[in-house]
Amino acid sequence: MVYRVGSAEGFYGDNVLSALPMILGGHVDAICFEALAELTLAILQKDKLKDPNRGYTFDLQIIAARVLPDAFRRRIPLISNGGGLNPVAAAHMVAETARKAGLQGVKIAAITGDDVFSRLEELHQAGERFEHLETSQPLDPGEYQLTNANVYMGARPIVEALKAGADFVITGRVADPCLYLAPLVAHYGWAWDDWDRLGAGIVAGHLLECTGQVVGGNSLALIDTIDPHELPRLGYPIAHVHADGTFVLTNTPGQGGIVNTSTVKEQLLYEVHDPARYVTPDVVADFTTLTLADIGANQVRVSGVTGRPAPEKLKLNFGRLEGFMREIIYTLGYPYAWKKYDQLKILIRETLKPLAIDRIAFHLLGVNSLFGSASPLPEDPMELVVRVMFTAKDEATLKNAVRLLMNNGLSGPAGVSVSGTTVGGEPRAIIGLFPTLIERTHIQHQIHYVEV
Amino acid sequence: MPRVVDLAYGRTGDKGNIANISIIARSSEAYVLLREHLTAEAVRQALGDLCEGTVLRYELDNIEALNFVCHDALDGGGTRSLRIDPLGKSLAGVVLRMEI
Repeated sequence: MVYRVGSAEGFYGDNVLSALPMILGGHVDAICFEALAELTLAILQKDKLKDPNRGYTFDLQIIAARVLPDAFRRRIPLISNGGGLNPVAAAHMVAETARKAGLQGVKIAAITGDDVFSRLEELHQAGERFEHLETSQPLDPGEYQLTNANVYMGARPIVEALKAGADFVITGRVADPCLYLAPLVAHYGWAWDDWDRLGAGIVAGHLLECTGQVVGGNSLALIDTIDPHELPRLGYPIAHVHADGTFVLTNTPGQGGIVNTSTVKEQLLYEVHDPARYVTPDVVADFTTLTLADIGANQVRVSGVTGRPAPEKLKLNFGRLEGFMREIIYTLGYPYAWKKYDQLKILIRETLKPLAIDRIAFHLLGVNSLFGSASPLPEDPMELVVRVMFTAKDEATLKNAVRLLMNNGLSGPAGVSVSGTTVGGEPRAIIGLFPTLIERTHIQHQIHYVEV
Repeated sequence: MPRVVDLAYGRTGDKGNIANISIIARSSEAYVLLREHLTAEAVRQALGDLCEGTVLRYELDNIEALNFVCHDALDGGGTRSLRIDPLGKSLAGVVLRMEI
């Protein structure tokens, strides 16, 4: 017996319709959708400020309208953290969509408790210092405007909702792999101190959570073997998990992509620090004891994962509005391109001097923009494409800066040109992240059920 | 002199201002060579001004791979970085281009 968990979203904007061939082909028992990168909640906060009924990912509307009907008919539960900053509003939207589609008996669960933005004073009173995870500096709330404060929750509330019969579980911030661990714990009844099995579920979740990246997307190992025509239609990954935690990773049958030990290794180490201590709210997984084996076409068996007790504290990430950035791209050509580049840098720095500009950065696209000082420089280039980035605390300063730079239109180095689309661009907000830890006892989850 | 890319493949991941670069050996012989010669210090040097902090190396003998955790390597972190590749998706290329 195996339990099959599919992954149909790895970031906000992923192709969630990849769930359909999993469902229609009868290939999965549950599907998870992971939508929240580190920055996504800060983006959703902007939506919520405009409309208090928003703050969730738009992808949930697509899932509700086009995936839920087929999933519900086959009793395949859907789990998504795309509820973002407003899981309850998301659940009501999903219910309304399901009603319009004529579905009856759908149970939707919204999980909250991760969002502590309105509780900061209370938590501070309770002894939380909010010291930065890397620098140990305490958060200074007056320094920048805070945009959001969300705790990485574990799998438990999702398991509770699934056991209560939820067909669609919508959460806010949950540690990505825990989203995938939840249906396994709900199905197999693994104990919360069964560290090795929990660790195995986390490894399965970690391999699934970036969808295309384990089935041939973003793969250097497959550069000579994957047919690029398959890339836009990769069959997203599915884990066939046994009761003992051993699992086989595969892709959706009949779709594109390749799964082998190389793609699994690439994804296993993606965004990992100490591989013997992969920390999640539910377990610390150890990747150094596992064994990988190619056991068939697009089938990799993962066994031997071990785990250790869950950490005492939970991770909390603050988002802060730290300013704005602006991009202008110039082009310089032969002859004397390097000399012209020096002139352009002086021109820009002197022009911006009277303004409150915090940072200026120059990169040469196609020359050193990816690898900095590690890039060998051409001696006498035909062209230099100069990307200038500058930042300020407010948008008005940046608009003023662009105006002053454009005043130099006929005063620059010989033959300089500027990319018009970058001149017409808009400042972009700089949302800085401030990670810290928080006591578990200070975080309680709530589950809200909406039934259709 | 062979380059690391002849012996391994790799991928970069990001978390905050930390980039991790996985270097996965193409064979057991390659892994022995890489483990011996591809030190954290050598990677730190190769990254030049891309990495302002320390580099830690973790070994995974079970899958014949090394994981380099590079602190202060993303110009303040993906959301603050002024680089064209703010998440450092390409950073593994620096290590893959190193000579062994």
